[in-house]
Amino acid sequence: MLNADQIRDVINQRAQARTFSDKKVHDVREEMWRLHDKGELVVIPIEKKNRPVEVETLFGWKKRIPTDYLWHHKSCGQCGNIPGYPASLLWFMNQFKTHYLNEPHQTSCTAWNYHGSGTSNPVALAAVAVRNWHRAYETGTFPLIHCGTSYGDYKEMRKLLIENREVREKVRDIMHHMGKELAIPEEIVHYSEWVHVKRNDMAGMVKMKLDGITAAVHEPCHYYKMVPEDAIYEKDTNGGQRPAPPTALIQALGAKVADYSTWYDCCGFGFRHILTEREFSRSFATLRKIKPMVEEAHADVAITTDTGCVTTLDKSQWIGKSHGMDYMLPVLADVQLAALAAGAHPYKIVQIHWHSSPTDSLLEKMGFDVAYYKKDFNSYIEELQRGREPDMLYKPHDEMEKYFAVNKGHVIMDN
Amino acid sequence: MTVLQNLPRRGPKGTEPSMVIGGARPRDEKTEELAAKIFSEFKSDFRYKEYVLGCINCGECTTGCPAARFYNFSPREMLQIAYQDDPLVLLDAMQEKIWACCQCYTCNMRCRFGNDIAGIISVMRELAVRNGLDSAKEVLKPYSRILLAVMTNGTQVSPDMIQPDFFADWGPFAVAKQTDIKTLRKAIPIDVLQVTDSSWEVSMQTSLELFQIYTESGVVDMLKSIDPDLVEMIEDIVDEWKDEFEEMKAKYGVGEA
Amino acid sequence: MASPKILIIGGGPAGLSAAQDITDAGGEAILVEQEGFLGGTPKRLHYSLLAPDLKPVEEVLDPLIDSVQQSGARCMTGAKVESVNSGRNGFTVTISGGGKKVEEKVDAVVVATGFAHWDPHKKYEYAYGVYPDVIDFKDFEKMLSDGNIVRPSNGQVPRRVAWLLCVGSRDRQVGKFYCCRLGCAVSIKQAMEVRRINPAIDTYVYYMDIRTYGFWEDKLYWKSMEEFGVKYIRGRIGSINRGEDGRLIAMAEDTILQRPSEVPLDMVVLATGMEASEGTRETAAMLGLELEEHGFVKPLESDSMPVSTAVPGVFVCGTATGPKAIPDSITEGSAAAIKALNYVRKRSIKVQARA
Repeated sequence: MLNADQIRDVINQRAQARTFSDKKVHDVREEMWRLHDKGELVVIPIEKKNRPVEVETLFGWKKRIPTDYLWHHKSCGQCGNIPGYPASLLWFMNQFKTHYLNEPHQTSCTAWNYHGSGTSNPVALAAVAVRNWHRAYETGTFPLIHCGTSYGDYKEMRKLLIENREVREKVRDIMHHMGKELAIPEEIVHYSEWVHVKRNDMAGMVKMKLDGITAAVHEPCHYYKMVPEDAIYEKDTNGGQRPAPPTALIQALGAKVADYSTWYDCCGFGFRHILTEREFSRSFATLRKIKPMVEEAHADVAITTDTGCVTTLDKSQWIGKSHGMDYMLPVLADVQLAALAAGAHPYKIVQIHWHSSPTDSLLEKMGFDVAYYKKDFNSYIEELQRGREPDMLYKPHDEMEKYFAVNKGHVIMDN
Repeated sequence: MTVLQNLPRRGPKGTEPSMVIGGARPRDEKTEELAAKIFSEFKSDFRYKEYVLGCINCGECTTGCPAARFYNFSPREMLQIAYQDDPLVLLDAMQEKIWACCQCYTCNMRCRFGNDIAGIISVMRELAVRNGLDSAKEVLKPYSRILLAVMTNGTQVSPDMIQPDFFADWGPFAVAKQTDIKTLRKAIPIDVLQVTDSSWEVSMQTSLELFQIYTESGVVDMLKSIDPDLVEMIEDIVDEWKDEFEEMKAKYGVGEA
Repeated sequence: MASPKILIIGGGPAGLSAAQDITDAGGEAILVEQEGFLGGTPKRLHYSLLAPDLKPVEEVLDPLIDSVQQSGARCMTGAKVESVNSGRNGFTVTISGGGKKVEEKVDAVVVATGFAHWDPHKKYEYAYGVYPDVIDFKDFEKMLSDGNIVRPSNGQVPRRVAWLLCVGSRDRQVGKFYCCRLGCAVSIKQAMEVRRINPAIDTYVYYMDIRTYGFWEDKLYWKSMEEFGVKYIRGRIGSINRGEDGRLIAMAEDTILQRPSEVPLDMVVLATGMEASEGTRETAAMLGLELEEHGFVKPLESDSMPVSTAVPGVFVCGTATGPKAIPDSITEGSAAAIKALNYVRKRSIKVQARA
């Protein structure tokens, strides 16, 4: 969108205001490699085995998205109450024979807490980020970040670690105390970017009917509003004026994407608000997002690419009935829709029963025999209650990994 | 008591009156001292100079602000408060308004001056917590359980937290799940997700490293000013874990983990 | 002494004015214009009326074009300066046009290569190019010239039209830090024209401040309110979205009421800023002229020598050095003419003295 001269102007100007930093910066990644060469930090490189795909970002900068040998940086909100979100992603990776690690040796980015309560500080946030990145580094994999907030936060932390020597030194000290190095991945990559570059492969797997489906996209704020220059934009999607994921995927799958007046609005998550200011979150989500999605876009489903947005848009609808707002719009993550389109089990894989807004009519419209799958899942649950071992997407971790990060790079591919 | 009591007044130490509508009101000496302390911490934070550049009052930050549609709050006002050197006005904002922000970063993306408004609000929140302001205490009251999770296993929510008494408005679909959350978690085909007390199973080494980060970066001390009981509880848990960790080292024959 | 021969690059208001004054003073002017006609951007983009007196652009520029054409200046349209080489006795220039290349020897060069309207595609929140009813200055000037104010999306007459000032100006996000100087006046002028053509159309101007300096204040700003009923909203539109019925929804903050607002609109006109034209950048590179920090040609001294450059014998005028209005460009054209003539005269005296 901007030419190189213009963006250089912008960044120069910003850098001039940054008196605390020890160097003026253009593309933060260039400075990162300089610091790597000086031994100030270690860049976790995207290697040939990662099979990167190049994409274009807001200012026309190139970004490489690794597609193999990935380290799943899980999202606490997804794993906590939308488990079908990571399960659908891992399911696709199994289909594609993608090598990956999904470990217990990860914390969240802790930025949900920070943005909600302020109970952290830049050094702690950066150290948490580096500790997680380092785990990918020591296992020879590349971090794939599931959560939009983690993605945004990690881009801010990367910038901070590169530009601020004081923070960098403090974090490096903390890492050294744990026997780790200050490692920063070559690119900060969101799972939706992996999905985006894999969208044609996913489209090739479509078994269900999507041509009658209209989706309203909610673009997660922390995907494209935090450090905006790093988000994927493509000329052919949304006129190049809005991020390409997940719109390009939905279109590739064969569904329609409809516009609505509050497209740019946030979902109402608010970090603190979703937990302790519920009146705000549910009112905002219903009135500012769900209502226009239904009444203006006539959407069959809301599609988004982040944890908080799925949660807020999904969980805020039921209470609307008390005000006569009975929208009940299904809310799914992009990868869940893609998995359903490819015929994945709606309950065993897509775990759609964790969602609060009803999805039966959507599934029927896509051609699922809902009664059959429900019965199938219920008997699976009964078997589990009788002590049957659960089905797994990969071979479970050894018992000692409950305590120790001993796996040094055994990459799980399939079960 | 006079009718003029509520009129905007001059700031302390001869500063000009605030231009913020309904500016700071007269306070006692103690409040002024606190305001001055917070103000100096605020202005000396390394992020202040990076985040607060100036403002041409275009209002674009507020056009997309979710909180501005609901509360008497606007990012433009917050930036103006951050930019103007009025300690009492700053303290006033920190006692309430800063907690309205949703941290969605729409204001940042819009700002044509290049301010980091969401970021400077975060800095104010950090300061409110660090200085044990009433607003921070109030805000964090229903938050202890979440802080406990974040401090010990590094995840924000756990499946067993999503209880009807906590999220009544999430409706019957969510509530129905609670009948047998353990089996429902078992039905997720990912081993580390088959737990109920954290988002995923976090290894003990990871938890201990996280707590080390919190200790060395000063977050534990920061929390002490708000909730010393909680910190004590967390420290007890971590101490127990450390013992268990040593036992497990012996059991599994792990040397320097 | 032979009459001074001066090359003028660009046939807009500034270049025309320079050509006229050079020929009037007995010099020989070669005017090279890349388009097939004279008049520059105002003509090329079919500007309608000009601020502040709402005179048609033809009324202002046509007499100037006519008098230049009759003055004996050599006007080469559809032509381009390919190269300029400076030597002991002035410059050797190669001009291409009509499939031919000619070489000329000139004593001085006047650069009048002008500006370009900023491309609003780069301000993605305004969805220019996505929603057909979001248009920019040049689109709307054309519409006014055609006398046909309709929504591009459906061909119907709009009920509510809004102007959004400072698009691609005063904006660090897009790397344009400066004020375009004209956006306020042109927007107000356009709103007045709309109201004059069709008083049933409501007009709104979203601004952060109105910069109608000098006589423009009463002739445009005040008049637009008193006589034309143009409405002003202090605060910018942050994003333009698609409303239920296909109308536009502008999300703004009314910074006086201090509240966010959402207004359905039929059309939004983006007051696009000015940047150095491609011709200006190319010409500067060809002549070795330095650009100032905003990308325009850097005058020798912006305060005391605004039409001189660091390259001896090369002068610059009009919007090549930064945003300005047509009268200012015409004035600068004259100034550059006299500077160029004096340069040639002084140099020939020096040469004679040496001989």
